[in-house]
Amino acid sequence: MSISQPYLRQTDKATAGAEFRRGVASCVPVLLGTVPYALLLGAQAAQKGLSAVEVPLMTGLNFAGGSEFAAIQLWTSPPHVLLIVAITFLVNSRHLLMGAALAPFLRHLPKRKVFPALFMMCDESWALGLSDARKRTLAGGHPAFSLRYYMGASIAMYVAWVVFTALGAVLGPMLGDIEAYGFDMAFPAVFLVLLAGMWKGIAAARPWLVSLAVAAVTHLVVPGAWYVAAGTLSGLAAAYWLSGEA
Amino acid sequence: MIDPVNLLTIALMAVVTYLTRIGGYLVLRNRTLGPSATAVMEAAPGCVLISVIAPVFVSDRPADLMALAVTLLAATRLSMLPTVLMGVTSAGILRHLIG
Repeated sequence: MSISQPYLRQTDKATAGAEFRRGVASCVPVLLGTVPYALLLGAQAAQKGLSAVEVPLMTGLNFAGGSEFAAIQLWTSPPHVLLIVAITFLVNSRHLLMGAALAPFLRHLPKRKVFPALFMMCDESWALGLSDARKRTLAGGHPAFSLRYYMGASIAMYVAWVVFTALGAVLGPMLGDIEAYGFDMAFPAVFLVLLAGMWKGIAAARPWLVSLAVAAVTHLVVPGAWYVAAGTLSGLAAAYWLSGEA
Repeated sequence: MIDPVNLLTIALMAVVTYLTRIGGYLVLRNRTLGPSATAVMEAAPGCVLISVIAPVFVSDRPADLMALAVTLLAATRLSMLPTVLMGVTSAGILRHLIG
């Protein structure tokens, strides 16, 4: 007992470190896509008048890129607080569903570990953690969800996001008109790759097409970011209606 | 450096976002969903993502629409990094050539 316990602790520590590094490593290709996107957000925020302190404050506390892009698009001086907070909620409402999908894998963990882990949950770390849990289930691993792996991926994303959005805010004014270079296309590109990863056939994608059509039309006729809400809600209504049909 | 209204907006954004992160877990950790709710949940992340990028699909710049087509094609075949690179370079080149 007195011999085996410290030994066990030692191997646990080594495995934990390896799991964390495995998480960081799997995040590296994702980071290469994230960095330009972080620089772009920082630069756009600076253009809207946010300071090089306010930008990392937002990206570090909120840490949800989609909502930050939406917020910056809508940012005025002074900002429309309620509009921006409402759009933030709508863009991030997908987290509710992501957290729900992750919930069955988190049952073995105490809340004091789950709450900080969920603070770090972004599209990328969620997708990596979930697909890793599915692979480990198939391989007979226990527990299916590796918290260290997930935290490795999450912390790598977090540090890169905060550092490079801040850098974007500092360098942005020197870069000039970013749109001329095409960097703004990085944002649709990232989202399209995430969508491709979620693809389960055309039938399952019908609600997405409804969302796309309604959001596009709303964007053309209604000023502001309401197209996000209109598109999302009509897609969800379509998914509900289609599920009754099957 | 820090404007009070900006700070308030950022703080409220952070609170709302954290609630979305823990909400699904808190509500569903001891429950299972019915078929309709499951279907809605499965469609939801995609509905949000596609709605956010919908404006580029109806851009009035031909260069943007062509770059979007290139990016869309890349996204169905390639991983994150090459897709982002193709999206950015095609948008940059096409805007330069046709405006």
